Amino acid sequence: MRRVGPFILERRRAPSRAVVIGVSVLAVLAALLIMAIIFAGYGVNPWHAYATIGKSTLGSRYGLMEILRRTIPLLLCGVGLVIAFRAQFWNIGAEGQLLAGAVAATGVALYSGIPGPWLLPAMFGAGFLAGAVWGIIPAFLKVKLRVNDVITTLMMNYIMIYIVDWLIHGPWKGPTMRGFAYTDIFPKAAWLPTLPLSRVHWPTLVIGVAAAILAALILNRTRLGYEIRVVGESEGAARYAGINFLRVSLAVMILSGGLAGLAGVGEVAGIHHRLLSPTQVSMGYGYTAIIVAWLARGSPGVAIVTSLFFGLIFAAGDVIKTVLRMPFQVTGVFNGLILFFLIGVEPLMYWRVRLLPKGERWTGKAGSSGS
Amino acid sequence: MDWQSWLIGIVGRALAFGTPLLWGTLGEIYAERAGVVNLGVEGMMVLGAFSAFAVAQSTGHPGLGILVAALVGGGAALIHAFLTVTLRANQYVSGLALTMFGLGLAGLLGRGWEGIPLKQPLPSVTVPGLSKIPLLGPMLFEDQSILTYIGLVLAVVLWLLLYRTRWGIVLRSVGESPATADALGVNVFLVRYLAVILGGVLAGVAGGYLSVEYRPSWTEGMTAGMGWIVIALTIFAGWDPLQAIWGSLFFGALYHLSYRLQAWLPPELLKLMPYAFAILVLAIAGLSGRRRGAPGALGVPYTRGEK
Amino acid sequence: MRRIGIVVLAALAFLGLSALAEGNIKAGFIYVGPIGDYGWSHAHNEAREIVDQGFDWLETLYVESVPEGEVETFIDQLVAQGCNVIFATSFGFMDGTLAAAQRHPDVIFAHCSGFKRAPNMATYMADFYQVYYLNGLMAGALTKTGKIGYVGAFPIPEVKRHINAFTIGAREVNPNAEVHVKWIYEWFNPAAAKEAAEALIAEGCDVFAFTEDSPTVVQVAAEHGLPSFGHYSPMYDFAPDYVVSGQLVHWEAIYRDFLKKIHDGVYTPKNLQHVDYWWLLSQGAVEVGAKPGMMINPVFEDDLKACVIDHPVFGKISAYDLVMTRYNQMADPGVTFDPFQGPVYDRKGNLVIPEGMWPSVDTLITLEWAVEGVVGPWPGEPEE
Repeated sequence: MRRVGPFILERRRAPSRAVVIGVSVLAVLAALLIMAIIFAGYGVNPWHAYATIGKSTLGSRYGLMEILRRTIPLLLCGVGLVIAFRAQFWNIGAEGQLLAGAVAATGVALYSGIPGPWLLPAMFGAGFLAGAVWGIIPAFLKVKLRVNDVITTLMMNYIMIYIVDWLIHGPWKGPTMRGFAYTDIFPKAAWLPTLPLSRVHWPTLVIGVAAAILAALILNRTRLGYEIRVVGESEGAARYAGINFLRVSLAVMILSGGLAGLAGVGEVAGIHHRLLSPTQVSMGYGYTAIIVAWLARGSPGVAIVTSLFFGLIFAAGDVIKTVLRMPFQVTGVFNGLILFFLIGVEPLMYWRVRLLPKGERWTGKAGSSGS
Repeated sequence: MDWQSWLIGIVGRALAFGTPLLWGTLGEIYAERAGVVNLGVEGMMVLGAFSAFAVAQSTGHPGLGILVAALVGGGAALIHAFLTVTLRANQYVSGLALTMFGLGLAGLLGRGWEGIPLKQPLPSVTVPGLSKIPLLGPMLFEDQSILTYIGLVLAVVLWLLLYRTRWGIVLRSVGESPATADALGVNVFLVRYLAVILGGVLAGVAGGYLSVEYRPSWTEGMTAGMGWIVIALTIFAGWDPLQAIWGSLFFGALYHLSYRLQAWLPPELLKLMPYAFAILVLAIAGLSGRRRGAPGALGVPYTRGEK
Repeated sequence: MRRIGIVVLAALAFLGLSALAEGNIKAGFIYVGPIGDYGWSHAHNEAREIVDQGFDWLETLYVESVPEGEVETFIDQLVAQGCNVIFATSFGFMDGTLAAAQRHPDVIFAHCSGFKRAPNMATYMADFYQVYYLNGLMAGALTKTGKIGYVGAFPIPEVKRHINAFTIGAREVNPNAEVHVKWIYEWFNPAAAKEAAEALIAEGCDVFAFTEDSPTVVQVAAEHGLPSFGHYSPMYDFAPDYVVSGQLVHWEAIYRDFLKKIHDGVYTPKNLQHVDYWWLLSQGAVEVGAKPGMMINPVFEDDLKACVIDHPVFGKISAYDLVMTRYNQMADPGVTFDPFQGPVYDRKGNLVIPEGMWPSVDTLITLEWAVEGVVGPWPGEPEE
């Protein structure tokens, strides 16, 4: 317990769902408020700014489709990260795992010779596998050699970035690309279908939603899910319960990396139809997915909502650039702010604020504390 | 070309490119020694780079620019310290947020400053006398930045501080076992705050070096991933300031060599080395069963007196 | 839902048409980089500002830092804002722009540096190879070590063509000159450009040219007291004593012509299938110079005049006069000289352009070989 002026703060064990949602919304609102100040500083009326963004994204079919398109990779990576974070595995490597998936899909699309109808399934399979492989290396290192997972997953992002760079400048450079650093365009059989008048590659979206549902089932209804949750609670408890730490970690990272890999397949097969510079393949989806997963607080179902929200943020970024004519860096600032607030308000969830009874309110030292 | 001029060229360039790496790494070592990982190095560096340029350009004093960069870097680190030490937020997420925020903010504020040559860059120095020594002279004492030498001295000072003084014991104990340190009367929060802020100050200087010395002008995103090399280097150096010297020289040389050896090796291969080495070093340390300097409470928020 | 979408698109198309009918043009420019990058996107944006002020019937919009995969999205948004002309200014935008052009048949598109066209999509390019050749003449005269450094962004035909033209120029003045090349594999990365330039200095190069989007090479060369050539934007101010000359672009020349012809009804969304601007010195789309109006930095004039060579065509002639002569041959509307005038041999000894021939535009934009005198890795170099 801690006393601040007339208030008393009490610590609580597990915050209720309402508190979590309330506090998260509060954080988002706070970030929006600061952004409003930045808009104003740029000479753009904040009301006008938010109204324009709302109208151009949520207010039109086109805008909604753009949100959906951005949601796809965020959802797949986000669900994967939710699983990883549940097991206290700090996978910062979704970006690299996504790229690994993109690379594998490209290899299959251009060089496998698999006939038409089997091509896309094979690409998704290879993408999942590649993402999973890129994911289990850190898992293995963590469990067997106690190597910090944050660092390995982070470093492996960069390794994959340079591998993609090397591929498109070297062995995979497309002969029809007139010397530019791209692979050739995929055969049409490797293009994902899109919703009419949009670039929403819906098969990947369906996979994403299915993955969220499946992940929820795994986490809540299966033995593996139970083990993941126990490992996430405490490693000690997991050992006590006789849980095979290596097996759980590998399973978690196969799922987490594999889902990010699927996102990579979706981007190259649905949007680009070729492999290109890593910064162009992904708009940093793997990093933004960390926020998506963080906001989802361990629930794959909630990740659908939070990935939609960040899909909206991406689409809003485009509006900020085109309609409001503001510099593109605004989105970076916003993402940073929202993340700051999200983690900043975290402690609020674990404290209950109560007003002291009338008689005690103004007695004693203000700000005194007793643990 | 003879081996001497190769060596001179490579060591000279390794020093120049290694300088921002060294400054950044020394800062991160201190923050992590106190138990706080700060993945926001890239963000702090880029904020430092922008503010150093803006100040140097408008006042004509590059030194003042570096000073302001240090303050700005420290200020940015303060956000991280507040979130992770006071509010006990997740250090990794907070650091990532700092990077996103820093890159965005510096880009936003810096728009009017792009594409302008800096009027008065930080002059490079040639040490009189020493530069005449054969081989070593041109390699180490010719046409280098003053910040290179300060960085090298700083590394030694920070090493001495860390291993040879009571302050260093306090700092390390906070990173190893904050509860024990607390029980011994150490103000864990204060130590962590100071270490994180020092990390920001040094990262700010590293950024300032880029914009007023290394390439005297400002462009959005000019740190180009150097902050992440610093994270890798911190591990590579085993959280030891003296090792950081060799580490930054080594990574600096690798980066330069990726251009020297272009005819023989794909540059991507040499550029991914720092990241691969960081993983390798950790893995080898794990194999040999040593923790190799990794502070025990790294990444763990400290909650006082609660079970 | 779908019906609404179609109605919206129809309404947009109608808006687009009505704007065209009134004779007013709203042109949207899409840039791949930030406009402050001091290179490619910066130059396009300067040109946009110039034409915007030049025509009272013209309104312009722009979007910067557009990722390649996102170009369609941004085109749609610009069209939704009433743009009836779209300029997509990066090679990587090619397929996205073509797709958008098919989706918006009443909007006029122009794609820079690509090769795919449509009835409503033209292509355009202001190319530097003549300018690089003239810079090469100067570099050949100024090098003392006989080694000239060149920092290239990507080994793509555009950059290869420029390095070749530059090398041909350098060897016309100094037959033993070598052009040493380093690639940084990025359009913009100051640290990479700096280390590449330093690597070239370490190899003994003493004059520098480059193709990448920052003034880094100019700055590094000046630190070592060595001359260099600016690229794209005026870089004179970055090193007034060391920038000899450089390549300057005037995209506005193309934009002015193209937009005027749309306004006059010459270009319509139906007849652009064969419209391809390939504009050079004689059309005023590019300029030789350290900054506009300064073709050769006065600091280097004496050196260039003092360098007298025995030229196979002009006999005894100073490098300075040779530059001027060649410039006039290429800048006059009736162009009488091309840097790649045959015979041109690649560095493996193959005759790539026969005696007396000039290369076609197609040859130039698909060029992969390196001429004699180019030293260094050359990814994509044809075998024998």
